[in-house]
Amino acid sequence: MELEELQSAWTQLSNELNHQKKLTNKIILDMTKQKYQNTFTTITKYETIGAFVCFAIALFVLLNFGKLDTWYLQVCGVLTLSFLIVLPAMVLTTLKRIKNIDILNGSYKDNLKHYLKTKNRLLKLQQVGIAIGFMGLFFIVPVTSKIISNKNVFLTSLKTEQYVLFAITMVAMVFFCKWAYNGYLKVTRSAQELLQDLE
Amino acid sequence: MHKKDVFTDLIREHQALLYKVTSIYTYNKEDQEDLFQEVVYQLWKYFDSFRNDAKITTWMYRVAMNTAITFIKKKKRRPDSVPVADVFINQSDYKDDVFEERLKLLYLHLKHLNTLEKGLIFLLLEGKSYKEIAQITGLSNSNVGTKISRIKKKLKTNMTKH
Repeated sequence: MELEELQSAWTQLSNELNHQKKLTNKIILDMTKQKYQNTFTTITKYETIGAFVCFAIALFVLLNFGKLDTWYLQVCGVLTLSFLIVLPAMVLTTLKRIKNIDILNGSYKDNLKHYLKTKNRLLKLQQVGIAIGFMGLFFIVPVTSKIISNKNVFLTSLKTEQYVLFAITMVAMVFFCKWAYNGYLKVTRSAQELLQDLE
Repeated sequence: MHKKDVFTDLIREHQALLYKVTSIYTYNKEDQEDLFQEVVYQLWKYFDSFRNDAKITTWMYRVAMNTAITFIKKKKRRPDSVPVADVFINQSDYKDDVFEERLKLLYLHLKHLNTLEKGLIFLLLEGKSYKEIAQITGLSNSNVGTKISRIKKKLKTNMTKH
């Protein structure tokens, strides 16, 4: 192939492409929006899986609620159900709200204001989730223990290995929560930068 | 006319330009689509900053090529494992076998060039003058001339090998 042939092949390619106007207005605008929404795709995926796991456990607790035979176990049961249903639902709703900010139509100022408000809400929800997650061990453990092995942990003393397991769980939770929360901060920061770039 | 409409009209009118830029800097369809989307987004981002003192296509070439360079840097960790030949058979809608073969060869030669060389030869193939290439790339006119003659030599050597 000679240089002239390169040029002629390129010209022919250009002519062919000029006749192929495949892009529509919708595709072009979707591309721009998609870029913003992609930032939250991974986090939404994990949150959705997490939410389904929580909902499944909540359903299990609900179906076995009758086994909680004392008033304090029932209180623990209600707290467990609230924790497993309300928090994931709120996180998913907030994520949906952030993803749906219309970066093409709203004004920059309004978008940024809306985004920052929703972002703060999401981060606060995560903080609440982490705090309740730790406290949750104190009401989820009695509920699951009663439902699965019919043991009332308030009336039976724990063995040493159970204390060790509890401590290990707490430490693992600290690391996991720190990692997950940092991930959130990173994603929201990068989305905020995208929005600021639109100025 | 609304900004959004002006922008979409512009992209639709010059989609061939974007297609060509993204095709020379990527090695598979997935990357090309990613880069295409990134370029559209960058053009939207800087659309307000475009001043009419330059031709709109000059500005588009500049943004698209700069975006492609950044894109390549991000993708550097990934090996270029997809054979060049596969790419354009899948991407094109052309039925002409001879043309397809010429396209394969064309891209094969282009892929052997480095990032800067690719950009310069691309603009030359697009029919840009040295002055316009200098405007788009930020190089001086004489530098463009020197580099292009070197690239031509390199291409010629490559072509004799294949």
